[in-house]
Amino acid sequence: MIDKKANIAYSIRDIAFIALIGIFCGVIFFTTNISYNFLTAALTTIGLGPVANDLLLGLWMIAGPLGIMLTKKIGSSVLAETLGGFVEMVLGGQFGAGAIISGLTQGIGTELGFTLTGYKRFGKFNLFLSCITGTIVTFIWSYFNEGYAKYNFSFLILLFIARLVSISFFDGVLVYWINQLIEKSGIIRRS
Amino acid sequence: MDKLAINDLTFSYTKDSDPVLDNLNLTIKNNTFNLLFGSSGSGKSTLMQIITGLVRTNLPNLGSGTILINGQSIETWTPKQFVQEVALLFQNPREQFSMSSVEDEFVFTLENIGMLPSKIDSSIRSALERVKMLDFRNRDIDGLSGGELQKISLAITLAMDSNFIILDEPFANVDSSSRKELILLLKELQIQDGKTILIADHDLSGYDHVYDNIFHLYHHQIAALPHPEKTLAYFQSDKDEFHFQIPAENQPGVLHFADFSLDAGSKVLLDQIQLEIPTGYRILLTGDNGTGKSTLFNAISHLHPYKGVLTYKNKEVQKYKTTKLSKEVSLIFQDAQIQFLKMTVSEEIELSLKHARFSEIWSPEFITKNLSLLNLIGFENHIVYQLSGGQKKKLQILEMLMLGNPLVLMDEPLAGLDIESVIQVLDMIKKVCELQKQSLIMISHQLVGTKNFFNYHLELKDKNLYFSERLDDGLFD
Amino acid sequence: MDSSIKLLLVLLISFELAFVQSIVVNILVIVLGMSYLLVKKVKLQKLLLLIIIPIIPVASTWSSFYVNGTGDFIHSAWLLSSRIYAYIILGGIFSFTTSINDLLSSLEQNWHVPSKFVYGTLGAFNFAPRVRNSMLQIKTAALMRGEVLHVWSPQIFFKAILLSLRWSDNLSRAMQSHGYAENNVRTHYRKQRIPAWNWVLFITIFGVFQFIVLKKLP
Repeated sequence: MIDKKANIAYSIRDIAFIALIGIFCGVIFFTTNISYNFLTAALTTIGLGPVANDLLLGLWMIAGPLGIMLTKKIGSSVLAETLGGFVEMVLGGQFGAGAIISGLTQGIGTELGFTLTGYKRFGKFNLFLSCITGTIVTFIWSYFNEGYAKYNFSFLILLFIARLVSISFFDGVLVYWINQLIEKSGIIRRS
Repeated sequence: MDKLAINDLTFSYTKDSDPVLDNLNLTIKNNTFNLLFGSSGSGKSTLMQIITGLVRTNLPNLGSGTILINGQSIETWTPKQFVQEVALLFQNPREQFSMSSVEDEFVFTLENIGMLPSKIDSSIRSALERVKMLDFRNRDIDGLSGGELQKISLAITLAMDSNFIILDEPFANVDSSSRKELILLLKELQIQDGKTILIADHDLSGYDHVYDNIFHLYHHQIAALPHPEKTLAYFQSDKDEFHFQIPAENQPGVLHFADFSLDAGSKVLLDQIQLEIPTGYRILLTGDNGTGKSTLFNAISHLHPYKGVLTYKNKEVQKYKTTKLSKEVSLIFQDAQIQFLKMTVSEEIELSLKHARFSEIWSPEFITKNLSLLNLIGFENHIVYQLSGGQKKKLQILEMLMLGNPLVLMDEPLAGLDIESVIQVLDMIKKVCELQKQSLIMISHQLVGTKNFFNYHLELKDKNLYFSERLDDGLFD
Repeated sequence: MDSSIKLLLVLLISFELAFVQSIVVNILVIVLGMSYLLVKKVKLQKLLLLIIIPIIPVASTWSSFYVNGTGDFIHSAWLLSSRIYAYIILGGIFSFTTSINDLLSSLEQNWHVPSKFVYGTLGAFNFAPRVRNSMLQIKTAALMRGEVLHVWSPQIFFKAILLSLRWSDNLSRAMQSHGYAENNVRTHYRKQRIPAWNWVLFITIFGVFQFIVLKKLP
């Protein structure tokens, strides 16, 4: 599976599959939403609300790397994240229309890790790369969109580290574990 | 002319697996009513999906043989060509609808076959009228029963103008009165509209005067059934053989219901139930599809809310913590894969052993004995997701029983098992439940081979739940 | 207004808002958006929910800038908090006044998005109500085997993928059984044309928005 050549020929089954993963990941995220809001609320009182946000961003983004690792299609990370953002907006999540645009930037962020090596490999190294690109791209977007530009430098560093840790765990380590399970189980023998 | 002619069809799903169909031949005449009889897992579905183009046989190493419909080879047909000649109704009608409303599904289908927009409206209307379902045009798929969905599916085949209608176990999710109604409707379509009908079914009751041919799929091949009348009569008589006792009062109870009610959305499933279920027995739970049997199981295991009183061991079920309750009640889900947590068979067994309540019973010898009873010896290092459907089910039942929870709920555990496996599985369940003093409630439509297994019979009917001596007519669907 | 045009407008304005440093502009978007929703007779209950849902992120954003902001941190706090409300109102404008079906058929007919994207997504959407239930089943099934699944357990995602695979297989089989093929020429029962006035309105609104933005309001 690892070195299968990537392509852009989506079948309707691939598209439905990616969309479903997006919806599932959204539901998994929202079932943890309560604890998320508690965490945010607790941190809010000391002005650290965005740290909670950044600590969970990796979980929020997981559909992208999963989509691309499982289908090995060019653009599938962007597709998964954008659809995820769209679902989030339609179901009335707390980020509204911003969710689609954020989804798009997150998708591009993780996708880049695979683009950099020409979609030739889908292993540990690329997941690592995609965590780095994912963190950088989304952080740039937050710099404008969430006003990170206006934080003091040390807080900015804290946010960056929180985000890097979160993305590395959820979109790197966890995705790697999940992918191992999938490969071992042999459930993806898709023609 | 022959509607369908299959010559020497051989097919397997992967290169290394045994063929599902082996040198199979079948001819079906135009404008006839045909039954394809065979046990679950005999390959009926595969055959029907091949005939309707959902499974293609022309991949190298997988299939050989020829299939002609109306004298033409189907090998190069597109999906559009297929549906205009031959339509398939799925076993689970819910799985055949991808849109959310009846009209949207019609529109999607008719747009697919390129019907002129100006003709779509009248085509939907006349198709629904033909099956007397015009009122359902604007309904959502979600609220419809299995029987209603199958009628809509049938109307869609009429709108597509397919002359040959193939139905794969179409009554598996349909209650008995709708089953009769649908069989008559299909007969009418054959006689009045000139359709050719082919129905795959493992149950031949209700077909007495409607069929022209019965084919038997057995050992990967098709033969005519030698004594169709005898087989039909067998299905009729088998129902009368079941007779149950009513439990005596004042026994210690495992579950107690008082003013217990259950809804699904706006639909009331159970209304004001008063019932005591005695502890330590094996109880059969029957009722038509959609009456709420699975929802009842869900309510007992914190997967669905209920109203009124439901106590397990004299404590309100809703007051248990889910982690605590799950050490008391085991629900064996219909979908076996949802219950697996490890990769190989032996890892799965090991995990169950870790949490077993009566671990002293589960010595390596006893485990091996049960594995061999279930024909799972030699599969210890196999990946659970790669096992056959029947093997997955057997493993799931074993590993859930090993936990030794006092109350075991099984949702259709015998569906899809061949008769030999049914006997093995029931034998194991009986022994293990007696050893561990477990109470068992089992939902099952499949009753062949279950004689003398159940102590009591619970029936769910007309929003009521009660112990009953007899089986409701037409349960074998 | 055609739903694809509406989505495009909502997305463009949302994107631009990320770079606009004006509280007044955010409030204008909120007020005008709310008025639009009221004119469209969206239920008050829904509008109220729209205001309540983002309270935590808004409070979190505000306090965070108050504590960690540099420069005119009070301005930043109000700017970023009001921006969240602007986003959620813009999202509401789309999701309360259009339907997914309309959007997807407009994308298919007017923007020539391949039908496989339209119907693949639509089919998946129709599964959404079942997803929540399945998640609960997955967790309970594991609990019954003595294992607790957390959000960081690979198993929970593995099971979700297992179901996604099965459902997407079913979906493509179901669609094929009703005549769908990716390269079919399809007809369209409900025509979704974009009338010219839609474009005029789109350009007007977007133009006026640029005009307001360029005013460099506080």
